[in-house]
Amino acid sequence: MNRKIGFLAAALAVTAVSFPAVAAAQSHGGHGTGHGMASGQPGQPGQPGEVKRTIDIAIGDNYFEPENIEVKPGETVRFRIENRGAFVHEFNIGTPALHAEHQKEMQMMVDHGVLMPDRINHQAMQGGGHGMNHDIPNSILLEPGKTGEIIWRFGSGGEPEIACNVPGHYDSGMSIRVMMGH
Amino acid sequence: MAPWKFFRDAGACPAALVFAVAGFSLPMVAGAGTYDLTVDRVTIDTGGFSREGIGYNGTSPGPELRFREGETVTINVTNNLDVPTSIHWHGLILPYRQDGVPTISFDGIAPGETFTYSFPIVQAGTYWYHSHSPFQEPDGAYGAIVIEPKDREPFRYDREYVVQLTDAHPHSGHRIMRNLKSMPDYYNRQQQTLGDFLKDARRDGVEATLADRQDWGSMRMMKTDIEDLQGFTALVNGRSAEQNWTGLFKPGERVRLRFINSSAMTYFDIRIPGLRMTVVNADGNNVQPVTVDEFRIAVAETYDVIVHPKEDRAYTVFAASMGRSGYARATLAPRDGMEAEVPEMGAPPLLTMADMGMAHGMDHGAMTTGDGMKGMDHSGHAMPPPAGSSPGMPGMDHSAHAMPMTGDATAPSDSFYAPGSGLLPVAADGGKFLSYADLKAQKPLYPLRPATREIELRLTGNMERYVWTINGKKYEEEEEIRLTYGERVRFRFVNETMMTHPMHLHGMWSILDTGAGKWNPVKHVISVAPGTTVYMETEVDAPGKWAFHCHLAYHAASGMFRRIVVEGGPSTGMVGTTGEGG
Repeated sequence: MNRKIGFLAAALAVTAVSFPAVAAAQSHGGHGTGHGMASGQPGQPGQPGEVKRTIDIAIGDNYFEPENIEVKPGETVRFRIENRGAFVHEFNIGTPALHAEHQKEMQMMVDHGVLMPDRINHQAMQGGGHGMNHDIPNSILLEPGKTGEIIWRFGSGGEPEIACNVPGHYDSGMSIRVMMGH
Repeated sequence: MAPWKFFRDAGACPAALVFAVAGFSLPMVAGAGTYDLTVDRVTIDTGGFSREGIGYNGTSPGPELRFREGETVTINVTNNLDVPTSIHWHGLILPYRQDGVPTISFDGIAPGETFTYSFPIVQAGTYWYHSHSPFQEPDGAYGAIVIEPKDREPFRYDREYVVQLTDAHPHSGHRIMRNLKSMPDYYNRQQQTLGDFLKDARRDGVEATLADRQDWGSMRMMKTDIEDLQGFTALVNGRSAEQNWTGLFKPGERVRLRFINSSAMTYFDIRIPGLRMTVVNADGNNVQPVTVDEFRIAVAETYDVIVHPKEDRAYTVFAASMGRSGYARATLAPRDGMEAEVPEMGAPPLLTMADMGMAHGMDHGAMTTGDGMKGMDHSGHAMPPPAGSSPGMPGMDHSAHAMPMTGDATAPSDSFYAPGSGLLPVAADGGKFLSYADLKAQKPLYPLRPATREIELRLTGNMERYVWTINGKKYEEEEEIRLTYGERVRFRFVNETMMTHPMHLHGMWSILDTGAGKWNPVKHVISVAPGTTVYMETEVDAPGKWAFHCHLAYHAASGMFRRIVVEGGPSTGMVGTTGEGG
């Protein structure tokens, strides 16, 4: 199936309510790379039972707070994310290279009228056809005022970086630097 | 970390760097609130020519003024010239008596006099200042203003530079005006020649070529009438392409470039081969970030972009004039002395019949007047040029055909240009060229509401006599435009000339109608391309008397200028409004 349409559907599923995203993430736990998840991820979806630490992330226009975090290799972290801004934002755990790829998909969503500055056009998104059962466990797309959670188990290396890939946002500095502790 | 702290740090470092690297004048330190400027005779040295000009504190450009949103500034301006002068704070919202336009805001600053400006800083962003007295700005009387915001920016960067463009000319502004008046094509070096005629005749046939030339002749225009004023040397921060102003960066840093076009007459198309630019601010107001490969900057506009150079190499900042008669060049580099390839400018564009307003009735706005604008979405605004785009499309109305934006340049189109326009910009290295339609306010300054009335301003002129007018009338021939405090006026610009006019309203914001509703960008200059109709709205919230004009220096001076009077509202101590011309 068309990966991009799958992605659009996934974004909708995640956005509609935040908790299914967590459920989906959990269901992929332990698979390494789940459906819709690109390879080269800095880790994998984590299990609630492994969570030792919760990090609260506040999203503003257009920035994250905090902008730097530190994690340990193999650590499973629960991210609690709140979009306090007036625009749609993404919280995406990846690498600079993965973000660059994903930004093209996000641009497509904008070009097709699916992603508007302050909301997601769910109707246009559904117009893309195809099932809603796909998901990107490393990402959550939040409309203004929405909250969400992602449980993520970091790997031992790589170049993890958290980004908002809404067009223009990452380019103008909307990212979280993830430092690997020991 | 406190939000302001980041910005403060970001701002402090480059100021020092600019000074150290380029020998650029030392920016003044914010916070003190009191600034002293002298207006001086200076030497403009482009490497190619050297002449006497006008500057501030002994330099042109003048010192970069750094203000902080919320402070009240006091600026003592001492006139060391033997003629009157003035300083206008371009884009700043302030009491009209502080706006610096002789005969409208105040009497000007006499030789030897010190005039003290004092006003609160109620905004943030990139602006500039310049003399509003005849032809002093083209002679070098300009500088940059950077205002740091109270709150954190909606973007992040590690360092910043002002990149201020201008079109220094070996002739003084007064002399240029005289020459244009006596021979409007005095400075047009790109006129079509007999050779062009023969070439076109071979291609199109003698008859068609003759007819073509006759059409253009009867309009008193030429296809090459894109720049009235050629023969300039484009400068970046006072430095020519050879003098190569350089901004340093560390690979991986995000760099904010504050582009200001302080040219008298010249639009530029700006690119940095190897880097994409994320536009975050236009005319001082933040916009929703949009990443582009190239953008056009009208005279007197500002655009802030963020670039993210990751490689340990130099990059060329390349600004080709819209008519391709000259270019500015600067360098971003990890170390001083490095440079990158300087690209070719490419062939100059030629105007088409579309730019001659042959397609009358075009109205990309599709806007009805007055009410009914709420929720209107004609935002497509990016429409493919009509197939074949042959000259002469009478009565064409493509207003309803909003096409979805594609975000790429596979089908170059931009409804802020006439369909088939020769001026339609295309990114030289491929990719996206910024359009006005891409500008969306990050945080709208005003709630959306229907305009209370519409005022039509036809941009008119007679190239033969070098007379530029509004609704067919020169400044001194026409009454002022009277507005009422509290109203929201919709201005309809209809460009009936073949030149592009950057229209600048003083004292109040210009909300450009791109069809984005509440996100229409808030600007201080609205560029109106030939053969187009463009709308802007203004919340009339500043009592007093204001200038409203084309920012091309020699167009403003030859009549394309109006005085606005805002009646009612809080008292300003406004005095009589009669008997003050020109």
